[in-house]
Amino acid sequence: MAEHALTHALPSVSVILHGGEPLLAGPARLRRVCEELTSALHGIADLDLRIHTNGLQLSPRYLDLFDEFGVKVGISLDGDRAANDRHRRFADGRTSHPLVLRAVELLRQERYRHLNLGLLCTVDIRNDPHAVFDALAELDPPLIDFLLPHATWDQPPPRPDGSPTAYADWLLAIFDRWREQGRPVPVRFFSSVLSSLSGGPSLTESLGLAPTDLVVVETDGQLEQVDSLKSAYEGAASTGFDVFTHAFDEVAAHPGVRARQLGLAGVSETCRRCPVVRSCGGGLYTHRYRSDSGFDNPSVYCADLEALVRGIEVRTAAETESAAVAEPHELVAAHQDLTRTLLARLHADLDGRGGERWDEAWELVQALDRTEAGAGGLDGVLTHPYTRTWLLDALDAAHDGRPGAGRPATLRLSSSVAAAAVRAGLERDVPVAYRDGSIFLPTLGEARIGGAGEHGTALVRATDDGFLIRRDGHPAERRIVRTSTEDPGWLPVRHVGVGGAPGFVLDDLDPYRDCFDTPVAPRLGQSEADAWSAGLAGAWERLTAVVPEQAAEAAGSLIALTPLTTGHPAVGRHGYGALGIGVYTDTEELALGLLRGFRRAKLRALVDVTDLYASDGAWDHRTPWQEKSVPFSRLLSMTYERVGLGLFDPRFLDGVPQALDTLEAAAELTIDGKQLLAAVRKEISGTHGTSGKNSCKTVLDQEPD
Amino acid sequence: MKTNESTSSFANAKSRVPLAEIDIRGVEATRKLDRVFSTSTGRSTKASTFSSAL
Repeated sequence: MAEHALTHALPSVSVILHGGEPLLAGPARLRRVCEELTSALHGIADLDLRIHTNGLQLSPRYLDLFDEFGVKVGISLDGDRAANDRHRRFADGRTSHPLVLRAVELLRQERYRHLNLGLLCTVDIRNDPHAVFDALAELDPPLIDFLLPHATWDQPPPRPDGSPTAYADWLLAIFDRWREQGRPVPVRFFSSVLSSLSGGPSLTESLGLAPTDLVVVETDGQLEQVDSLKSAYEGAASTGFDVFTHAFDEVAAHPGVRARQLGLAGVSETCRRCPVVRSCGGGLYTHRYRSDSGFDNPSVYCADLEALVRGIEVRTAAETESAAVAEPHELVAAHQDLTRTLLARLHADLDGRGGERWDEAWELVQALDRTEAGAGGLDGVLTHPYTRTWLLDALDAAHDGRPGAGRPATLRLSSSVAAAAVRAGLERDVPVAYRDGSIFLPTLGEARIGGAGEHGTALVRATDDGFLIRRDGHPAERRIVRTSTEDPGWLPVRHVGVGGAPGFVLDDLDPYRDCFDTPVAPRLGQSEADAWSAGLAGAWERLTAVVPEQAAEAAGSLIALTPLTTGHPAVGRHGYGALGIGVYTDTEELALGLLRGFRRAKLRALVDVTDLYASDGAWDHRTPWQEKSVPFSRLLSMTYERVGLGLFDPRFLDGVPQALDTLEAAAELTIDGKQLLAAVRKEISGTHGTSGKNSCKTVLDQEPD
Repeated sequence: MKTNESTSSFANAKSRVPLAEIDIRGVEATRKLDRVFSTSTGRSTKASTFSSAL
């Protein structure tokens, strides 16, 4: 074990003492086991020691031993006394229930509570599910889990009323009770389904596609696969290896073990095509066994598992869904939150490498954050999309351990803080380093304060209508007024109006705007900027007339437009609210380009803060619009864009209903993905798409994502 | 000119966690950050998924 941990640099190893009944080994032997394991792994990997027991012999003597070695304890209990007594009586017929309760009570005591793992219940559908759950929950365990009884296609589980979903119905009855009571205790089976429905991992080998990384060491030294396999057939778990002669790596290479690490490739074809496979994973391996076809089948519990996953989904979708999908202002808020989290993370990861300057700026950021005006000014800078670009670049540099990683991060933090202070009207000197004779204040503009090649520190201080800049060591102050007027020493970030509505920032200055696939255009001259503004106004008028809802949402969500040298409106590596705009020939082309760009920006923004899909790339999907099959994410983005454009020009809707059908049936889809598709269906309800014939091949189809 | 210094944004700010108190190593923050990070941050300890024990 230690050899294996060393070879693979494992951070930890979990060892579960199991049986049979491990307490039958007696305290002396268990002590020896704990001592050996602890000393073997000392200094190599963390040892996570656990024991699973029926509890009948559990006593303070054992628990003191477990406390000494940090062995955590799980207990098998099948429900109330009636449930317990179905399968767990002494040979003379006596009930074992009071002894189990005694064990549970011991683990609830203050001195042993930290060792309590919880209760594992084997399902027997003859028991009343509510009585079972109530009995378990009443004991206040830290965790409960349910095990389906061992069964295979050769020996299917009992179904007294013949229902193919009897086990699902039983578990869902408990699920409902559990929810009604406010989810008083975590239930691993339910947590696993809820996790995978939202795009996360499964939490138990009974469900989901995560690889099995277990080996069993029998008391005689034989190395075996997990013992549930024994229900399939005699010898199903054996490998032929033992601890005296073989390394764990040899077990890891055993085909039976490998077969359980293949994820989607390790389940049957039927399961691979099933929409709930990420949550169900084909069920527990052994439940798939049939003597004529081995394990290459769905689970004997397939109908139950599907009903359970769907049942949980239907019951919880409304409370699990992310508000960002349905509400544009929630999407914006989620992005603000993400930017703040990234900033906090950068501070932690720099860990002093930003030096005094960083710390000074960080203090100021916090000071701004504490007042209403300050927070408003700070928000204005943090929500600017290229602030995100800076944060991602700086975090990459910090993680790569690049020398001098702190410097560009610090430069931008102090200039951001200064800009925020100016926006907030905070009359206080903010030090900002400058390079090459100029300072760029994000969202405001670029001030030239010295010659090329000159660097140093300047102090920025807000005034009523702008700010003052004073170079260190120079008595003279420059006063800058925040208008759109350019002069040789001041290049303001301009705004472009769109009709009478509030306009966007025309950001052709921020150095971090260079985050698109195509190069950005240099600073526009005033007449170019005016022409741009006029073109934009015309395009926007068109959008407002034809797609008023989307135009309104875009107006409320977009912040900055950046001229690119070429190409169609594009999205890059930045926060929500930017669009790169290339060259266009007429208003109609610009209007369509803006609309497509907005759809792309919005979908990208959603992917940044929610999980619309999982296991992207595991399946290929046909599209109505091209020969090549694509991963889910690509089909989603193609469809999402076409829907937006289709509301402007119905020809774009060709093939969309069919694509939506494919997306809705896909296993990659999560609860939030479903929410998005429902919203998209609603957008096009009342319009008429066709099957894909005469499909509108546009420049969309030739563009990379 | 679109400005962002509005009272409604501070209403959000009031319920916001101060920057220095954001739990950047917690499960929720990790999930948020993983969506946008280009590199993973290394191996982490994984919980056992053995179904016959907790």
